[in-house]
Amino acid sequence: MENIASHEDWKRCFAEIAPGLLLFARQWAHSAADAEDIVQETFVKFWRRNHKIDNRALLYSAVRSTALDFIRRDSRRARREASAFGGNDDFTEPEFEIEDGTQRALADAINGLPHEQREVLVMKIWNELTFAEIAVALGISQNTAASRYRYALTALKKMLQPQ
Amino acid sequence: MSDFSEIENDLRKLRPAQPSPVLFQRVEEALTDRRTGASDARRPRMLSYLPRNWESWGFGLAAAAVLVVFAALSMHRGQEGEGTVAQALQSPGPRASANQVEPAALSEKFVPAGGTRVVYNTRNEGLHFTDGSRQPLRRVRYQARQTWQWRNPTTGASLRVSYPSEEVVLIPVSGQ
Repeated sequence: MENIASHEDWKRCFAEIAPGLLLFARQWAHSAADAEDIVQETFVKFWRRNHKIDNRALLYSAVRSTALDFIRRDSRRARREASAFGGNDDFTEPEFEIEDGTQRALADAINGLPHEQREVLVMKIWNELTFAEIAVALGISQNTAASRYRYALTALKKMLQPQ
Repeated sequence: MSDFSEIENDLRKLRPAQPSPVLFQRVEEALTDRRTGASDARRPRMLSYLPRNWESWGFGLAAAAVLVVFAALSMHRGQEGEGTVAQALQSPGPRASANQVEPAALSEKFVPAGGTRVVYNTRNEGLHFTDGSRQPLRRVRYQARQTWQWRNPTTGASLRVSYPSEEVVLIPVSGQ
């Protein structure tokens, strides 16, 4: 696995993907600072191990795994993880630059999605991964990834429908 | 998926919060540090199989040398004995003397047959700051037993050296 990307390529790559990567990490981290630590640790490790710069599935898989390790390292975070996967996802709030009330409602609706649907949505919309890449990163089939994405969009539409 | 085009457009208009400038700085520093010290950073990994403790090295090599000498001597004596028996049983002739010289030269050759390193204790000794380093390093001590084995393909004799080793590895820790 030869790595021919230059230092500048890696810097440019990080500048491009950092916001999406951070949003992805925020799903597990309670604070933006924790998410930034996860992203930094994973990206530097990814670079150090000479992985291919365009192997996004592996990078997102590594972020996910680092984030879960990060949670486990701290008992308080472990409790939060347990509550998160038990159905109470209120701490995993994705962060967006909100411009108006509509966007606030949309952000709140995303926050109300089940974890596995939000995970796929974040990877697809803000990180522009293909279903094939999402499938590899999450260890699921492409069909499952596509289904979760559709369920997420359906749920969002339903939540945003005027009463 | 055309039913979802509207909601997808709305979602794409939502922009994720930008990371703090400090994050870019930290990542760039990490990449630069690693690039300038790339050879230093990778060397310990390559050498991690070798003991850092020079006493272990010295002990191991000395033990290996002594065993090699003993093995060579005992085989040499064994061949001398066989030669005597062969001479006593067979009538002396050019064919017999040729058979005695060739295996003796071959039998002295030992070839490496393998090596193992069994780590039986790992101790995390906490974070340390080395001189001139801004990044903390985690100090991990490994205690292991290394075994090297040689084999003589001609005689089937094998030689094994086993010795304890202890190494300390410093692992960079990213800021959290």
